[in-house]
Amino acid sequence: MFAAGLKCPGCGSSNIVDDDLYCQAQLVCVDCGSVVSEGTLADDPVGGTDVSYSRTTAVTKKPCLNLIKGLERVKEMCRILRLNSEIEDLALTYFRQAYQQESFINVTLQKKEVLAGCCVYVSCRQRDWPITLGTISSLLDADPTLVGGVYQEMIKILNIQAPFVSIADVIEAHVQEYKISAQHVAKELAEDSKVLTKRAVALVELAGDSWIVTGRRPLPIMMAATYLAWQSLNPNKHRLKLSLDKFCHLAKVQKRKPAVMRITELKEVLCKLGRELPWVRETVTQDYVVRLVGDILEHRHTLLTRALRTHETAMQADCPQASALNSPTEEVAPSQCSESRDQTADASSALQLCPTDRTENQEEEDSHQTEDPEPNWGKRVLFAPPCVVHAKRRRAEPPPVQNVTGDEEISDSEIDSYIRTPQEARAFALMQKAVSSSGSGNS
Amino acid sequence: MDSNNDEALDIIVTNVVATFRTRCHLNLRKIALEGTNVIYKPEVGKVLMKLRKPMITASIWSSGKIICTGATSEEEAKLGARRLARCLQKLGFKVRFSAFKVVNVLAVCSMPFAVHLVDFTKNNRPIASYEPELHPAATYRIKNLKATVQVFSTGSLTVTGPNVQSVASAVEYIYPLLYECQKPRCK
Repeated sequence: MFAAGLKCPGCGSSNIVDDDLYCQAQLVCVDCGSVVSEGTLADDPVGGTDVSYSRTTAVTKKPCLNLIKGLERVKEMCRILRLNSEIEDLALTYFRQAYQQESFINVTLQKKEVLAGCCVYVSCRQRDWPITLGTISSLLDADPTLVGGVYQEMIKILNIQAPFVSIADVIEAHVQEYKISAQHVAKELAEDSKVLTKRAVALVELAGDSWIVTGRRPLPIMMAATYLAWQSLNPNKHRLKLSLDKFCHLAKVQKRKPAVMRITELKEVLCKLGRELPWVRETVTQDYVVRLVGDILEHRHTLLTRALRTHETAMQADCPQASALNSPTEEVAPSQCSESRDQTADASSALQLCPTDRTENQEEEDSHQTEDPEPNWGKRVLFAPPCVVHAKRRRAEPPPVQNVTGDEEISDSEIDSYIRTPQEARAFALMQKAVSSSGSGNS
Repeated sequence: MDSNNDEALDIIVTNVVATFRTRCHLNLRKIALEGTNVIYKPEVGKVLMKLRKPMITASIWSSGKIICTGATSEEEAKLGARRLARCLQKLGFKVRFSAFKVVNVLAVCSMPFAVHLVDFTKNNRPIASYEPELHPAATYRIKNLKATVQVFSTGSLTVTGPNVQSVASAVEYIYPLLYECQKPRCK
């Protein structure tokens, strides 16, 4: 191999080759034979120095390269997110502090990068700049679980607190990502981002009031709210026909699967409120409700009160049947229920009885419930978290072993049931051999 | 137990984890061959044995250390462990039941009201922590009891602690804090 660009100091020729002497690398001039340069025997040992950087005195003379890289990464992220200088300075301070800590100094480079992202995130939250952890994870292209873990550790070590971010603040930034203004799409599908944001915020607030937001990831909810807001601002047939998939494709955002379920849940809530609108003649279905969204959101507080009142009266009307079906563990209920049943012929008197009985019945239900407490409260109220309404049925638990002391006698026969007889053991061993040989034969 | 309300809260213990030692080496292949209800995991180096009554799963290591999970009370865990030790004795090992210790108890409980998690965390910083994007529950660690309570916004709690008494005390301790931050269920 000709080593390019080198000149022999002896004869000036550039005809230099690699001519290794045993295990020592050497560059030798072909024409005059002089050794141009020798190998690295006396230089740094293979695989880096014996003493690692953090233990040398170079630490004080030269700042750690990875620290510098990390700080650059923080600045880069702040620039991408277009954050102001205050947040950037705060993030840089936090990164410097956290970097020195034991739990972050000897970790992988990926984790150090994630740490940089978490510093940016905390600074944003402390300066009331709405941002989600999901945004940071996608910026870093890292697993959200890892980001979450590093974030929790960092908070604990630096002993800082971050105020909460509400979805309503984040949604403005989220809606801006959607490219559906007049310059991007056709006229009947276009929407101004400010108007869209306003309606989406109202939808998100409604979702927050009706148990859809709590315990869920924010992004699918924001997507669902944006989609419904866009459809309802101009419910022409083009928009109504477009599914969430196509809408995301149109707006050039990545669709989130849970958003479909959130849309259904939001529409259910909107239907419940839409039924209270006095000027609506037709039955409010999930497809029809999109046209009414504007009116519903405008008067949502009144509609909420009306819906709750309607629900209460519906519950009262059901009350005589409900208390009859309840288990006889409630002492007072059966007597009251028989009273009310005598007078159910007259509907108005049943309603009169029930208000006084119902509150007492409800309290007893609360105290005597042992079987299914959760589904009951989910079905009793108008708005409940979906996890409560569709509660997982616990498989019938085996009756608990009564009066176990832990020190009882253990009979031989029960223990024998766990042990194979010698014949069974031999048969089992043979079968295992047969299975393994046939398995290896097949594969 | 709950002195400040007139309803009793049902604390349901769902899992008790206990460990004990047999003070002798155990031949895992022999257990796998001669025991029923046994799963041998040679890649990890343990044997899983399941008992029917009480419903317990035990991880048996060849060093003689055994971990029992799945019991619903401390006494049940002890009974299950002793049954297991008898079983191993019958298989021919010189087993001595020793160092039995309940290591972890998991219980669930449900408050009769919903909880506003943001207020709860704000009132109890830094003992409580809540990151809605990471986990839907707020975590509250009680240092002196060594118990951890996870509070969900529906009012359900899961409590883990070193024994049943600490779990009960943890629920009693946290009840007033949750009561202050309750949210009306119908809104």
